[in-house]
Amino acid sequence: MLIYLLKRIMWMVPMLIGISLISFFIMHLAPGDITSNEAAFNPKASEESRQKLRELYNLDKPIAIQYGLWLKRIIKLDFGESFASHHRPVLWEKKDQNGNVVPGMIQKALPITLLINVITLLIIFLISILLGTTAAVFKNKIPDRLITFSVFLGFAIPGFWLALMLIYWLGVNEQILPISGLHSLDYENLSSIGKFIDLIKHLFLPVLTSCLSGLAGISLFVRNGMLEVLNKDFINTARAKGVNEKKVIYYHSLRNAILPLITIVGLSIPGLIGGSVIAESIFAIPGMGKLFYDAVLMRDFPVVMGILTIGSFLTLFGNLIADISYALADPRVRKGLM
Amino acid sequence: MNKIFFLFVFLFLISCSDNNKNYQSKNYEGKYEKHYGGTLKNAMVGEPNNLIAMIAGDSASSAIAGKIFNTLLTYDENLNLTGEVAKSWKLSSDKKTITFYLNTKMHWADSVPLTCKDIFFTWKVVTNPETRTPYASDYQLVKKAECKDDHTFIITYQEPYAPALDTWATLHILPKHKLEHEDINNTFFSRNPTGSSFYKLKEWVPGQYLSLETNENSILGKPFISKMISRIIPDLSSQFMELSAENLDFMSINPIQYKRIFPERKDLNNNYELNKELGNGYTYFGFNLQKKPFNNINIRKAIDLAINKQEIIDGVLLGLGFEITSPYKPETFWYNSNISKTNFNPDEAKRLIESEGFKLNEKNIYSRNGELLKFEILTNQNKQREMTAVLIQRRLKEIGVDVSIRVLEWASFINQYIKTGDFESVVLGWSLSLDPDQFNIWHSTQNGPGQFNFINFNNKRVDKLLERGRKELDIKKRKQIYDEFSEIIYEEKPVIFLYAGYGLNAIHKRIKGIKNPPPPAGTFHFMEKNWYIPSKFIRNEIN
Amino acid sequence: MNKVIKNPLSLIGLVIILSILCLAIFAPIVSSNDPNEINVHSILLSPNFDHIMGTDALGRDVFTRMLYGARISLLVGFVSVGISTIIGIIFGAIAGFYRGLTDAFIMRFVDIMLSIPSFFLILAVIAFLTPSIWNIMIVIGVTSWMGVARLVRAEFLSLRSRDFVLAAQSSGATNFHIIIKHMLPNSLGPIIVSFVLGVASAVLVESGLSFLGLGVQAPTASWGNILTDGKEYIQFAWWLSLFPGLAILLTVLGYNLLGEGLRDTFDPNKT
Repeated sequence: MLIYLLKRIMWMVPMLIGISLISFFIMHLAPGDITSNEAAFNPKASEESRQKLRELYNLDKPIAIQYGLWLKRIIKLDFGESFASHHRPVLWEKKDQNGNVVPGMIQKALPITLLINVITLLIIFLISILLGTTAAVFKNKIPDRLITFSVFLGFAIPGFWLALMLIYWLGVNEQILPISGLHSLDYENLSSIGKFIDLIKHLFLPVLTSCLSGLAGISLFVRNGMLEVLNKDFINTARAKGVNEKKVIYYHSLRNAILPLITIVGLSIPGLIGGSVIAESIFAIPGMGKLFYDAVLMRDFPVVMGILTIGSFLTLFGNLIADISYALADPRVRKGLM
Repeated sequence: MNKIFFLFVFLFLISCSDNNKNYQSKNYEGKYEKHYGGTLKNAMVGEPNNLIAMIAGDSASSAIAGKIFNTLLTYDENLNLTGEVAKSWKLSSDKKTITFYLNTKMHWADSVPLTCKDIFFTWKVVTNPETRTPYASDYQLVKKAECKDDHTFIITYQEPYAPALDTWATLHILPKHKLEHEDINNTFFSRNPTGSSFYKLKEWVPGQYLSLETNENSILGKPFISKMISRIIPDLSSQFMELSAENLDFMSINPIQYKRIFPERKDLNNNYELNKELGNGYTYFGFNLQKKPFNNINIRKAIDLAINKQEIIDGVLLGLGFEITSPYKPETFWYNSNISKTNFNPDEAKRLIESEGFKLNEKNIYSRNGELLKFEILTNQNKQREMTAVLIQRRLKEIGVDVSIRVLEWASFINQYIKTGDFESVVLGWSLSLDPDQFNIWHSTQNGPGQFNFINFNNKRVDKLLERGRKELDIKKRKQIYDEFSEIIYEEKPVIFLYAGYGLNAIHKRIKGIKNPPPPAGTFHFMEKNWYIPSKFIRNEIN
Repeated sequence: MNKVIKNPLSLIGLVIILSILCLAIFAPIVSSNDPNEINVHSILLSPNFDHIMGTDALGRDVFTRMLYGARISLLVGFVSVGISTIIGIIFGAIAGFYRGLTDAFIMRFVDIMLSIPSFFLILAVIAFLTPSIWNIMIVIGVTSWMGVARLVRAEFLSLRSRDFVLAAQSSGATNFHIIIKHMLPNSLGPIIVSFVLGVASAVLVESGLSFLGLGVQAPTASWGNILTDGKEYIQFAWWLSLFPGLAILLTVLGYNLLGEGLRDTFDPNKT
């Protein structure tokens, strides 16, 4: 087990280097740089002041040297400061000489995106298991068809269109849910239960819209997994032994069908993080997606590279955790590793 | 499973349906006493970068910083210069020295006195080569600055500089005692500023909102509305949803919302007052004058004749704009209203093109010895500009000019095309400052990469006029200079002026004291002094 | 094919796909209007006899723009997935055929690509290149081939030791010949399934890019940018967002249903 773990972690090193290389060179496809956005084309901005900026950020050095300088720093988890004039640290907060804390950009955005994605994943899993099992049990009958059809419908709706219609219906017309933002403006004055309810109200629509698109893949995965397991020998043995059908389905089969879902968790992370761009801008949620999109448009290289690297790192990490828990949960794999 | 899901939804519906509905279809008409208090809520598309405006350079930052900091001078509602930190000023007889007499007994929000030292310090900061500000050049023209005493600030220019006073109406005065030992480019002060104006920063929640509260030490007196919250809502459709749900007190809206949506929606009409004012910029169709066919003035004139500007105004702005003939705010002093505009005349356009030896080919496109009359219009992602380009394309196609359109995201637009001069024509806009000086845009020396005369306009007479205009302090003579400049530009057609649109705003009716129609300086000019929320309409909110 | 038609869901999918395809191909016949014909006197008309889906903010006929938009959206779908499928087949085939170090190397590369949030990758690249319809297709293609590569590799690994491959090899056929003539045709099933499913995702990605202003550029109509144009007036000009929204929904649904049906057909493990 330990060897497996070590091997697994060792693999991550070349992968991280690969990721950093890819993200770095994508950045340099860009002909634009931060100085071009300076003062938003103000007629009074001078070329000298732009040149000053370029020198400060090493933008005039050769790419290879820029990469070297950058890699050296990110090994120490130093992702630098944003190019934008607020100069916030990309990853983690820092203190200035007077002890004032300047919040890190990813530090603030990541927990929000993670929170939304974890809730989304949990809900997707719960519903998918229910839907997938039902579909498998009623294979090719009406409930199966209905479920398949509806999960695809959920996948096929353009997310932002649905989001805007839901906002209009529940936020503007009915006024039962907040339209945008993460907290109400009086959040600080609420009791802790009030805060919790406030947060749930704000997250309800964003989570709902992102759930819909994720449901199809995973519920079909469960359905097909169930179908495969239901045909396996040990299930037939159980059936032959006279174990009742419900128990066969919900105990023996489901357990075996759900297990591979663990590996899906790791694989879903990049999709979920990436998919957050649109939802976060509609619902005005200051998460990773919005941060990334703004940084791309601003040519804010440190932030773009920071997010790509951290996002990929999280995926690798998620995969690692998933593999390990899979190994621990599945007796066959576990034995093989010992 | 469905049951569980709906139970889930249902629970939420119950738990949330108590608030928000309590003041529907309220009547906001009538006269009300002025009142201190209340909270004003608005939204912005992006988060401010840095509340030191000279460093930040983005509009969200200037909007917030403008409520916190003061300037030496300011414009009154009729756009005349008047004092703010300075109570008066005097020009020396050689026109090179300006003496500012400051108000006395001014204090920063932290009660430290505001004196000439702060102004001198601000000048030092903005002209310091280490300071990463795009605005330095104006202040670098000041050869010498000094504080004669705590309340007299004297500056001397190398030679008379006409836009000087205007530049002192935009520079935010910074507190020396807070910043003298700080690196201005990277100081925590930019997130936690100390100012001297109506408001001070109360709270800044990254990515969510900024809130301001009354600065008791404000040198301009106390604002009526005691708190302002600016939420960050990136998507404009979400912003409009928030407005529809009365969660925002004002928002700038587009012509379709103004003309089509508001008239159809009773609730919106009941709650919001619509407001229309002269905008701060104009949209033009500009040519790369070094390239064919734009180096030919008759082709430029023909293009002008072939474009139906009224149609663009009707289509893009739903009529909420007007044609302009000189690059100044219409109906203001500097605008040359004597220039008569060319009328839409496609036949005359064709005649002009044909006079240059072009003939229609089999595809109905003009050509001359194999040279087709064909070019690309470049514009950035801005719905109105896109639509304008589409309308121009259609009209030019009708007379036999083949036009394609390319729409680009701002950064690549500027870097790949404008800076490198790799474009044929652009639909773009210029914003207008209150001083008529346009040296940066039209002078032939200003055509380097990254400079603003990227269309390569080169006209000896205009160069001379722009140079003279900068040194002429007599306002009548100055007006003559810029009138002549406007005439030449309109005659030469380096760009075709398309329209100046109205600024459109929806403002909640619970807010009173708004001047409608707005004064020349605009709806939001000194809103702190005028706007108030009658006690009856102050919502149940924490302060 | 019979199986596909027997499954009601994939039949629905097939019908949807074919009808939209027909509408797109015969757009000039279905509507005599010009998709870019502007009329500033008929701005934002609700659906009526002349304009069955209403008009947009420049008075253009939404129905006609939808038809021509279908061409663009489907083109983006097909070309980008075509690109990703070709790249995926090349990498997957090489990895699965040569195995060993080559395989390990390619698969690590696949893992790296998979761990970068793909929408981020697409956004960054599109924003940095000039957004044009060709760049969009290339970028979507280049960032979504990993699934196909894995799939083809798995097929090839299992085909590698089959008799007919071994026979071809012993008869002296070149590797290239074996891959193209023997192995590829035998792995076509899953490739087709992933192609069909890929088109659905690509249509969605295009609409997402349009929302962010990085999609197909005006004045060319695509479903994504018609929908995006309409979003600001969703409370008022519902026709501007409803029709493109429905079109995207139906198309994506159609391709998914067909894809799933095909998967059942090709997958020998399932009955």
